[in-house]
Amino acid sequence: MFSSLMLVSLLVLTLPIMSSIFNTYKNSTFPHHVKNTISYAFITSLIPTMMFIHSGQETIISNWHWMTMQTLKLSLSFKLDYFSMIFVPVALFVTWSIMEFSLWYMHSDPYITRFFKYLLTFLITMMILVTANNLFQLFIGWEGVGIMSFLLIGWWYGRTDANTAALQAILYNRIGDIGFIMAMAWFLFNTNTWDLQQIFMLDPNLTNLPLLGLLLAATGKSAQFGLHPWLPSAMEGPTPVSALLHSSTMVVAGVFLLIRFHPLMENNKTIQSLTLCLGAITTLFTAICALTQNDIKKIIAFSTSSQLGLMIVTIGINQPYLAFLHICTHAFFKAMLFMCSGSIIHSLNDEQDIRKMGGLFNAMPFTTTSLIIGSLALTGIPFLTGFYSKDLIIETANTSYTNAWALLMTLIATSLTAVYSTRIIFFALLGQPRFLPLTSINENNPFLINSIKRLLIGSVFAGFFISNNIYPTTVPEMTMPTYMKLTALAVTILGFTLALELSLMTHNLKLEHSTSVFKFSNLLGYYPTIMHRLPPLANLSMSQKSASLLLDSIWLENILPKSISQFQMKTSILISTQKGQIKLYFLSFLITLTLSMLLFNLHE
Amino acid sequence: MSLVHINIFLAFTVSLVGLLMYRSHLMSSLLCLEGMMLSLFVMATMTVLNTHFTLASMMPIILLVFAACEAALGLSLLVMVSNTYGVDHVQNLNLLQC
Repeated sequence: MFSSLMLVSLLVLTLPIMSSIFNTYKNSTFPHHVKNTISYAFITSLIPTMMFIHSGQETIISNWHWMTMQTLKLSLSFKLDYFSMIFVPVALFVTWSIMEFSLWYMHSDPYITRFFKYLLTFLITMMILVTANNLFQLFIGWEGVGIMSFLLIGWWYGRTDANTAALQAILYNRIGDIGFIMAMAWFLFNTNTWDLQQIFMLDPNLTNLPLLGLLLAATGKSAQFGLHPWLPSAMEGPTPVSALLHSSTMVVAGVFLLIRFHPLMENNKTIQSLTLCLGAITTLFTAICALTQNDIKKIIAFSTSSQLGLMIVTIGINQPYLAFLHICTHAFFKAMLFMCSGSIIHSLNDEQDIRKMGGLFNAMPFTTTSLIIGSLALTGIPFLTGFYSKDLIIETANTSYTNAWALLMTLIATSLTAVYSTRIIFFALLGQPRFLPLTSINENNPFLINSIKRLLIGSVFAGFFISNNIYPTTVPEMTMPTYMKLTALAVTILGFTLALELSLMTHNLKLEHSTSVFKFSNLLGYYPTIMHRLPPLANLSMSQKSASLLLDSIWLENILPKSISQFQMKTSILISTQKGQIKLYFLSFLITLTLSMLLFNLHE
Repeated sequence: MSLVHINIFLAFTVSLVGLLMYRSHLMSSLLCLEGMMLSLFVMATMTVLNTHFTLASMMPIILLVFAACEAALGLSLLVMVSNTYGVDHVQNLNLLQC
């Protein structure tokens, strides 16, 4: 019953897509159908999850044998284990709220039915990714979420920036896919399969190469340092897209992949160190970049990137279950933060610059409440949602035998989380209003209120609820000195007080010319500026010069023909002293010839 | 020498003198060059055929090919002179700059 219910809930999701050939697609109630479908799928998937929590029994459903290529058997198989069983209801819950939110946000969009179809297709491919038991099915889901991300980021395709951002997302994801395919090829060669069970049973020895490939794939999909610029650019899409894809679901696919392969990763210390350092660099760098951004969605995007770095750090200290817990709790408050920012943006008539917001504390009380609770949950205030995962991660990192530099980076990034959260709250909510006087501030719509309310309750209670009901996997560190236990809380409070003091102190000062540190942080560390211009220019000019200049014009034209003609012309100008008296020269030639012939012939 | 040989030798000599002594047109010099080539060709062919020296019967043909190349070169020089002055009088040539 467990397996069939799960399959039913996954199947229910595909129904609205298939109904698009009928007339219901043209109705204006199609979005409502989609939202209801997702809520039914959520409730249906709760039953297998509760059965799993009760019994702890994992399932693999292997349905349809697709093809066999000599010794490789590919079939449609779903792995319903700890990770997918808990992630599916969480993702469906968050998606349900986001769908309801986008009923309000995209209300005036003429293609709203297509929007919902795209969101639903994205959700289906994400479910395929999460429940995949073999790498091929995972790859189908992987590519599917990439394509839907492209379509949804470029939703307003008339805008050049949106098209560029969508293309940027595809290109960076593609570079990650190279790693994925390399890992698939290695597994096919060395373990003769793409099934996760067989790979883990065989437990190959030298797993550096495939794990490096998987790390590259995670870097691309989860926007780690090196392949990160697509995530802030992806904020060109509508706010529901940012809330669903680029905070809760798609970007965690990379982390999820690494979590799936934890049996291989726990034996490979090198890859763990690499992962740790990569995550630490990412989380600190993106937190620094978030400090001076002026677009509210970009700050939240960088916050997502920083939290993803934290998840990668957790995998690097060999705690995949903690990383997964952070994925689930992070989905709640991050989606809610995006939805609150969407509510603010729509109320201020599409204004996204925090320098033009202010004083919303009294004008939009509900959004204010949820924004503050979301920020507190994000920074890991005790006993809200973020605390159950984030504080555990910091504690485990503090007490484990790990790279001290990476740990320091992570702690600094944790305090910076508090700083930029304070920045958002200070600029958007407090102070006097800086927006235009003619406002349309309205939070009366039940879609908006209900969806944010659901995620609000989730942000407060979900951490407690989930961590009390899952079965224990790795034993957390029980004893540590008091100062270590309070480290996360201390740096967070430090960040809050510092940010508040600085903001209040400099609030009425004149804006000076930007220092170089400010410019570094505001321009994303100059990374996109350099990397989007220099390597393509170098590659293209090198290829043009070597192909056309080197081969064609130098070898074929210049080396012999033109050089000989140049040489001849120059030397003949140099050494000619003649005056052009040709007849005289010819005549002297004739006389010499005649004389010589006479002399030599009349000799005998 | 036989009469035929003297005949052709005389033709060659007349062309040579005409190549080296001419009045004003560069074109006449080039024509005489062709005449020299023609007489050489006939002489070579006749000698080869008379002595049945079959292996050397390529020589006149190759001579013809190279003479064609040099005629082309000469004509291109003529064209260059003519481009500058309109006529190919030899007395113009002292003003040519390379």
